[in-house]
Amino acid sequence: MNNKKTFLVDCSEAAKCCDKSQYKESSIAEKVKMLLHLVFCKNCRKYSSNNTRLTKLIEKSNIQTCTEEQKKAWREKIKKEFTDI
Amino acid sequence: MSTNKIDPNKWVDRYSDYLFNYTIVRVNDREVANDLISETFLAGLKSMKNFKGEATERTWLISILKRKIIDHYRKSNSKKGKAEIKIQYNDDSSEGDWLEENAPDRFDKTAEDVMENEELGVAILECMGQLNEKQAKIFKMKTIDGFDTEAICNEFNITPSNLWVIIHRARTILAQCLEKNWY
Ligand SMILES: [Zn+2]
Repeated sequence: MNNKKTFLVDCSEAAKCCDKSQYKESSIAEKVKMLLHLVFCKNCRKYSSNNTRLTKLIEKSNIQTCTEEQKKAWREKIKKEFTDI
Repeated sequence: MSTNKIDPNKWVDRYSDYLFNYTIVRVNDREVANDLISETFLAGLKSMKNFKGEATERTWLISILKRKIIDHYRKSNSKKGKAEIKIQYNDDSSEGDWLEENAPDRFDKTAEDVMENEELGVAILECMGQLNEKQAKIFKMKTIDGFDTEAICNEFNITPSNLWVIIHRARTILAQCLEKNWY
């Protein structure tokens, strides 16, 4: 991504704000600046739409993963059983 | 032609999220899901010699897991009453050796919905395989488990800026990976 500076924020800041928005962690001020940037920057518009789509896909898939503790327990169990064979 | 090899020490890193996701959709209880996956790993270790390398390791583990899940349903059904079981299983099938086809593969939810979402889940989990370990862990904690930025920063001893850089890389990789089939 080339770093186009358009109205107060550059592409990397716009992208960061876009990422934060996916987790509802961007402030209103940040959002306004990002939206202004998007008006003038095609690359960031593309990133933003892909990024939003990714959020929707993840929500839709309803993925659930196991905890790290559980993984650790499994790793140890397998290692033990495997060497016992 | 290369056949698929088995490497149990990599099972957890490679397949546990995938197996967990597969199970939780069907049993809807984390404890039960964890138990079934433990049993699957152990059964896998015990029957490693039966692995012919024709299927991928993952497919093979799933086939074991499927049986465990069906067994689980069978047990919980038998607690409720034997009448239900008769409908679901062939009378002539012997204990533990009944036909998989006769058991319901998908339980409560609308089959098509579950199938599409599951396919999507598999695609996402596979794409996550392209992330490095740290990226994957942080992305998962943030996106799937919904941890606070602060909690993750403390856990990994990184600044919020570091975190957002990692999240950005992860999201870029995932979006690119999913682009072909799901965008
Ligand atoms: Zn831009």
